[in-house]
Amino acid sequence: MTEQSLARQTLAGILRAGFDKATCRVSQDELHELQAETGEINLFRTSFETDVSLSGIAGGRRASLSINKTDEAAVGAAINDLKTMADGANEDPAHDIAEFQSPERFQGGVGEPDYDAMFDRVVEFQRYAKAQYPTLNIRSVAATFVRRRSCLVNSNDVLFETERGLYRVALSFSSREGTNNSSMMYTGFATYDLNTPIQDATNVDALLRQSTEQVETRHIPKKFKGNLVIAPNCLTDFTGFLTARIGDGPMIADTSVYKGKLGQSVASPLLTLRSMPCSDDLAGGYWVTGDGYKAADLTLLEAGVLQSYLLSLYGANKLGMERAVNSGGAYVVDGGDVSCDQLIGDVEEGILITRFSGGRPNDRGDFSGVAKNSYYIRDGRIQFPIKETTVSGNMVDLLASIDAVSAERLNFGYSLLPWVRARGVTAS
Amino acid sequence: MQIAQIDLTRYSNQFSSYTELRLHENRVQSIALLNGDVIANTRDTSGGVSARVFDQGAWGFSSSADLANPSIEATIKAATSNAGFLARRTGDPAATLPRSAGNRNSDFSSNKQPLSQEEKIAFLRRIDQYITKNCPDLVSRQVSMNCLDMEKMLRTSEGASGYNITTRALLRVALTTRNDQGEPIELSEGFGHRGQFEDVFPTTDEAEIVVDKLYRQLLDKKQAVKPVSGYHDVVLASDLAGILAHEAIGHTTEGDIVRAGSIAGDHVGQQVASDLVTMVDFAHTYEGETLPVPVYLDDEGVESQDTVLIDRGILQSFMHNKDSAQFFGAELTGNARAFSYSDEPLVRMRNTAILPGQDKFEDMIAAIDDGYLLMRPTNGQADSTSEFMFGVQMGYEIKDGKLGRATTDTTISGIAFDMLKEIDMLSDEMVWSCAGMCGKKQPMPVGMGGPAVKTKVFIGGE
Repeated sequence: MTEQSLARQTLAGILRAGFDKATCRVSQDELHELQAETGEINLFRTSFETDVSLSGIAGGRRASLSINKTDEAAVGAAINDLKTMADGANEDPAHDIAEFQSPERFQGGVGEPDYDAMFDRVVEFQRYAKAQYPTLNIRSVAATFVRRRSCLVNSNDVLFETERGLYRVALSFSSREGTNNSSMMYTGFATYDLNTPIQDATNVDALLRQSTEQVETRHIPKKFKGNLVIAPNCLTDFTGFLTARIGDGPMIADTSVYKGKLGQSVASPLLTLRSMPCSDDLAGGYWVTGDGYKAADLTLLEAGVLQSYLLSLYGANKLGMERAVNSGGAYVVDGGDVSCDQLIGDVEEGILITRFSGGRPNDRGDFSGVAKNSYYIRDGRIQFPIKETTVSGNMVDLLASIDAVSAERLNFGYSLLPWVRARGVTAS
Repeated sequence: MQIAQIDLTRYSNQFSSYTELRLHENRVQSIALLNGDVIANTRDTSGGVSARVFDQGAWGFSSSADLANPSIEATIKAATSNAGFLARRTGDPAATLPRSAGNRNSDFSSNKQPLSQEEKIAFLRRIDQYITKNCPDLVSRQVSMNCLDMEKMLRTSEGASGYNITTRALLRVALTTRNDQGEPIELSEGFGHRGQFEDVFPTTDEAEIVVDKLYRQLLDKKQAVKPVSGYHDVVLASDLAGILAHEAIGHTTEGDIVRAGSIAGDHVGQQVASDLVTMVDFAHTYEGETLPVPVYLDDEGVESQDTVLIDRGILQSFMHNKDSAQFFGAELTGNARAFSYSDEPLVRMRNTAILPGQDKFEDMIAAIDDGYLLMRPTNGQADSTSEFMFGVQMGYEIKDGKLGRATTDTTISGIAFDMLKEIDMLSDEMVWSCAGMCGKKQPMPVGMGGPAVKTKVFIGGE
């Protein structure tokens, strides 16, 4: 049975069970993964997964459920459970489903995994790392091919079919010299092809080199308030405060510091932040939102001005506001007009941060966390890798204080991000 | 097809080299109320079969959601083929693994009639109504439930076998008010126990006690001051000791992390902590009581053993799966666990704890002239250097041995092996948490426990 026929059949079953409105999405995932640990390729995995997600609204009461079985008995039992679950919920007029849109099929990426290319790239990377950086310890490298076929239907005659295949590469590594260790560093990316050696993708090679330098770390000379130069590798740890706070939860709970700020300046005029799941530049995008709409690219911040919240259909109905045209993610920050070197060259005293190991910011945006795999900057030059250094400040203030954005950007497949420089962050 | 109805012994003749065959289903139920509205009302059931095959040092893995006989046979065949693919390219004919033939069964399902989703929603509503009645001036209130049942059946080519159902039921309450400046102030607590909802939460009594305490502290937090950043004498409340054990020390002593270069590898047999400190990763039982995440048989067919990580300050040993035990020539400990049917087993903690001492909590506070009491952890992270970090939602100043003003959210950090040496008091209480979900590649429920700890840590802030 195809995804579409199972989705349609399940949708009909949900409606027969007494639901007024219903949505069903059937997905088939195929995963092929080569994994190397501590220098040896040691695992080859193939996995086939199914997901049948059902949601229904009866008398304003909503429930959702997912199973990974497709046989008639399992789907029938799931529909019965769905009805029991919805009967127990409260009536909420904000629950709804996507209205009719023209049926559409989306397809992209790679059709089949190339095992030889996956194997060769992993081996090549390990050989390169070992030869170039003898003190480097590659804890794990995983090259994964993932293909998802999915069909979403709802009782307003929405029909979207999608198929996307892509490669994901994930790395973790540290370095060791004598008894000195560097912090573990993580990076990864998504791509439609394996034409580029792993070490040449994004800033992988620079991170490997930095890791070998970071076996010798030093404390910063003293506590100071200065610049924070944020590498693309951890930029979403900071912009993530904003994107989380403009979503359903904090907006409905009335705890978002950005509520009521639409059209107002909430960040630096140098910061333009988009969510671009439909961009051809991002292998890890998507075409259909979780609530059944054809996704579109969206500008969240235009020169620091808040252009849109990230509300789902439910959130929008609940608050009487506009639904966002996508579900967030696939973040792109526009490049600026300075080079990375200039961005660091203008810093009197600051930190170049590549990994942020921090506590969850509170609702006001206060944050603190350890600057990992990071460097001390003084008089426009990177001085040395740092240890046991905490950076702290306020996320709202930090985003407003950005005074430079690099022209260079890194494409991780799931995001496209530059280096940015913020002011007024305390390092201690 | 139900997992319990499948006989795995019939597939033994298809094992051509070391093979683990696992049937595994996770069942998750979630309900969330936000200001009284049901915003999440979901169930997720995900299960299937996986096979992992070891051939000349290479692992092949395959999984399928389909539990029918042809699918199970195809899964074994695919895993065998995958291992062969790697063995032909990278294989070492001399490679071996430690043997194990554990056989343990356990079932933590409830014998009670299952509550319907409607009854569970009504239960959460009673908690919500309790909050509405007893906690004035809130901006928002959230009450949510998350229940996870993991059912696993295992058969290996070495004759290990087991059928285990592990369950846990959790509630979370989050309250938000505003301070005098109109800023949101939030406090939350997740709590629950091993077992299914019907057994764990027979009444709302426990939740009401949590709400009362949370609200009192939330009111204190409205007037909270920022802690001064820097190294301070602190008492970490017992709810922080567990995450301290897990993040600060636990991860650095996982066999695969040690193999990848964790600094702990250099210190076996050495003093890494104050001699007050003994730390153990318990398999399933502590002082006769079954622990939050009992593991009797791991996913490599090893009967789980307690692993003493630190004994009176001396680093003793590490947690292992077959790969790391082979590498270090160590005994198997039964720490190999997989979260989902489509995941391979990794070295994971089970119930990691610092054992209690003999001090009274009040005496620990009284012993600090200028410092902080810290409580209510949020997230945490570890590093192979033993540098740790975790978020703290709540605290109080300690001045001249007495509790003072509340303090705002912060992050604490340090080098675990330095911080452990600074421990000079441990309370005589032992508090276990069942709400942990570790995020090392795969999510995994973990138990964490310990007493209140007096030590020095670095407090972040301006």
